[in-house]
Amino acid sequence: MDWNIPSLKDLEHYFWRCTACGTCRSAYDYGPPPTARPICPAGTEFGFEGYYSSKGKAAYARGIMDGTLDLDDPEFLEAIYKCTVCAGCQNQCQVDYKPHIPEIIEAIRREAVEKGAGPLQSQQNLVKSMKNYNNPYQGPRRVRNEWTRPFKKAKKPIKNINKSPASVLFYVGCTGAFNQTARAVPTATAEIFQKLDIDFGILGENEVCCGSTAMRLGDAAEFKRVATANLETFKKLHEERGVSTIVTSCAGCYRAIKKDYTLSSDFDRMMAGIEVIHTVDFLHRLVKEGKLTFEKELPWTVTYHDPCHTGRHLNKFQVDREGTELWEGAYVDIDESECLYDKPREILQAIPGIKFKEMDRIRANSYCCGGGGGVMTGFGDWAAKNAGIRITEAMETGAEKVVTTCPFCHYNLNEGAKRTGSRMTVHDLTELINAVLPEKTP
Amino acid sequence: MTEMPKNPEVDERIVKELQSIVGEKNATAAKHVRYAYSYDMSFVLPKMPDYVVMAETVEQIQNIMKFANKEKIPVVPFTAGTNIGGLCIPERGGILLDLKRMNKIIKIDAESHYAVVEPGVSHGQLAEALFEHKLRFGWPVGPPSASVSSCAINHGIGGLNARYGLNSQEITSMEVVLPTGELVRVGSCAIVEDAWHSTLPLPKLDGLFKGWLGSTGIVTKLGIAVHPIPPVLKVFTVSCNNVQDMYSYMNNLANYEICDDLTAVSWWLAQVPIPYPYREKPEDAPEWFSFANTNSFTEKEKEAREEIWQMVVDEEVKKGTSLKVTEYPEEALKARTQLPSQIVGSTKNYCKMAGAGISWPGTFTPANKWSPVYTEWKRILIEHKLSPSVRMSMYRGVHYGMLRAMIPFNKQIPEENENARHAIVECLKVDLDNGGIPYKPPVDFGHEINKRAHPGYIELLKRVKMMLDPNDIMNPGKLAI
Ligand SMILES: Cc1cc2nc3c(=O)[nH]c(=O)nc-3n(C[C@H](O)[C@H](O)[C@H](O)COP(=O)(O)OP(=O)(O)OC[C@H]3O[C@@H](n4cnc5c(N)ncnc54)[C@H](O)[C@@H]3O)c2cc1C
Ligand code: SF4
Ligand code: SF4
Repeated sequence: MDWNIPSLKDLEHYFWRCTACGTCRSAYDYGPPPTARPICPAGTEFGFEGYYSSKGKAAYARGIMDGTLDLDDPEFLEAIYKCTVCAGCQNQCQVDYKPHIPEIIEAIRREAVEKGAGPLQSQQNLVKSMKNYNNPYQGPRRVRNEWTRPFKKAKKPIKNINKSPASVLFYVGCTGAFNQTARAVPTATAEIFQKLDIDFGILGENEVCCGSTAMRLGDAAEFKRVATANLETFKKLHEERGVSTIVTSCAGCYRAIKKDYTLSSDFDRMMAGIEVIHTVDFLHRLVKEGKLTFEKELPWTVTYHDPCHTGRHLNKFQVDREGTELWEGAYVDIDESECLYDKPREILQAIPGIKFKEMDRIRANSYCCGGGGGVMTGFGDWAAKNAGIRITEAMETGAEKVVTTCPFCHYNLNEGAKRTGSRMTVHDLTELINAVLPEKTP
Repeated sequence: MTEMPKNPEVDERIVKELQSIVGEKNATAAKHVRYAYSYDMSFVLPKMPDYVVMAETVEQIQNIMKFANKEKIPVVPFTAGTNIGGLCIPERGGILLDLKRMNKIIKIDAESHYAVVEPGVSHGQLAEALFEHKLRFGWPVGPPSASVSSCAINHGIGGLNARYGLNSQEITSMEVVLPTGELVRVGSCAIVEDAWHSTLPLPKLDGLFKGWLGSTGIVTKLGIAVHPIPPVLKVFTVSCNNVQDMYSYMNNLANYEICDDLTAVSWWLAQVPIPYPYREKPEDAPEWFSFANTNSFTEKEKEAREEIWQMVVDEEVKKGTSLKVTEYPEEALKARTQLPSQIVGSTKNYCKMAGAGISWPGTFTPANKWSPVYTEWKRILIEHKLSPSVRMSMYRGVHYGMLRAMIPFNKQIPEENENARHAIVECLKVDLDNGGIPYKPPVDFGHEINKRAHPGYIELLKRVKMMLDPNDIMNPGKLAI
């Protein structure tokens, strides 16, 4: 399978479009009333211009290409990983660099990995684990299924799709499967599916990591290995097991399959007849069709944290690659229609008893929890500190619970709450839906 | 990119000393940190600082300055580096002093109409805070993340310049750390600690720290006048086929002082983005557009302004000029009336087509010279395949104002960088010879200014500079003397 993953050199034209105007430093909106908020977790923490937003990343890219900056310099190597690849900066930029910003940040990392310098020592275990266990958490295969035990016990076993066909594959993702806190997410998802009588199955022990973490860290080879395996599995499941929908509750997996996998020249062929959808989107459809209604009440005051990977990372950019409309490489337009901004909010507000409060930085300008881009592994302390900033913002709304749709954010925001000593609790949207969904009447 | 000069050896002792002042994490000589401060969007060639330091308190700044002065190390203050003149690019290495973390709005006195800000406070940040009090300031059409105080102390121009003057004229008080490390105050806060309302009736010592290329001290607090937001906005837009007619209209309208901003832009600047390389304007399109922003407290006040404006339009039409009342292109109008502006500030307006580079001959020029200077600029710029994207803005109560050509170019290609530099310096000479003076100029311009200066002026400049900065450590090389 051919993969078209660009090198830093391939992207040189684009990082040379950055004017160093610094608009990416904060999320500004004219309003009225006008608002201007910090948007870059890395800049907020480290402050120097190179760390700050896409302006700083253009500087790094230029420095590498002109030979001034050396990825073998350990301090510089660390600097290129001090970024959550949250794309908050990308949302502010208005020039031709914009559509390519996260790609360029990752291309810098790919350059480091190809040189043998990256990723960081603290992230090496993660990469090794990918190779040895097909997941970044050094989890043995059998542990991947542990979260399903209570289902078996309750005599509601989850179908193994390799053994019996189903139209829906629930792609669990490594964080939901291996991380104790985040296990609440697949558990709630599966319970909802069972209550709704959805014909679904999981890959169980045979599930292979989506490759998101490897891609974010710059390990293109490892990404390609698992992504190729997954695309082949998906095709086989479609042909042999009747799978037409892949649902995932993980923002990282969703982003990877939906966006990173399209870098494969075979993507359309491998995914023919299969739709990839985030659980929130899947359930939202059912709500709209009247197939999912909430009866019980949940008297909670909540706020919603938009994960980067189900939000602005799903932007589609129109770029005039050949220069037929504007000029070669011109950024023409942005299409936000696939970003899951409204749907989770609509579901939340449809739950009886819920009082919904918005934070200041939301939707396309959501402030990253701080866990992405390999930061949780590379700089756990900073990740939790940043999550603490977000928790404080959530507290300021008067909400007592923060809801999200990403197991990664879920885990990290929890760390943030612990660190700030906050009483705020973190929940996946599926947990709330599950709580108000009545048991299936036999 | 042009080749980077070799880095001088880093002195670990100096790094340690700086770290002892601001903390280990806030001072460094790491190359990747220095690199990101070595260039900006202008044609000025990149040069690296030797050290980068982030200060958070006035005391830290005093200690840095005392140390730098003792060691004779250059210090370059920095807030966002968006001045378009290469002013934060160190000519002689030294310490790049990043002040963005000093970003407290110390006071908004909504009753007395002034605010006190630290240097890192951005236009966006202050706009948000002032709006809560229904107050405003003269926001430039620059990046919302750039510094309010850096704009003001460098004679920046904002959207209220026709009503209240330049942003530097809005300064009411200052706290400054001298290059030798002492803390001084000018204006009312020098007499009463918490009074930041006026630089008068004392000697206007704020001039010691305003408009000095390379700075003469580190401004740590700035008092500025702020103003109520009149709720009724009316923008009058006209077009003309030539610069002379546009000048005639602006000169006429400026007499009545009814505008917050009275600006005209050439067809090339009205495009989003500015065409690069130069492209001919469609024959049927007017060459100039003007927007005159007015803000009124009542509908009646607006109508009175409208009456005056209509009278001016009628007079100009009677004169037989090409003036027409027209619609201004929507995005371009938004870009210049919704301030701080993300459209222009993000350089979408200026650079999106050209790439990375932008420089300007930005000048204060008598209005009656706008037409001849523009005609010459147009010739020079077109010869260099650059768009004559020119702006003219009338200042408060006078018939002079901003004349500038915003010139985007592809900074990735050294020849295109040099082409822009050459064209811009040529343009500047024309303007200087017509009585214009550039603001926030790069060193190339500084030399051209000083060549023409009265010897007594240069001597005075030197003496004041020597008095304030005996070891010439403040961003040396920028004054071009
Ligand atoms: C697209 C675009 C449009 C623009 N439009 C306008 C406009 O309409 N009007 C306008 O005025 N400007 C404009 N600018 C220029 C600039 O953005 C503003 O003047 C801005 O406010 C400068 O702030 P800064 O933080 O970038 O300053 P910097 O570039 O960081 O600093 C400017 C100068 O001040 C010095 N300095 C910084 N802090 C201090 C301090 N505390 N004490 C002493 N010296 C200090 C620096 O060394 C440097 O010489 C524009 C820029 C761009 C890119
Ligand atoms: S990345 Fe975009 S917004 Fe940021 S400095 Fe560069 S051009 Fe400006
Ligand atoms: S991706 Fe996020 S963390 Fe990284 S530079 Fe941009 S805003 Fe900062």
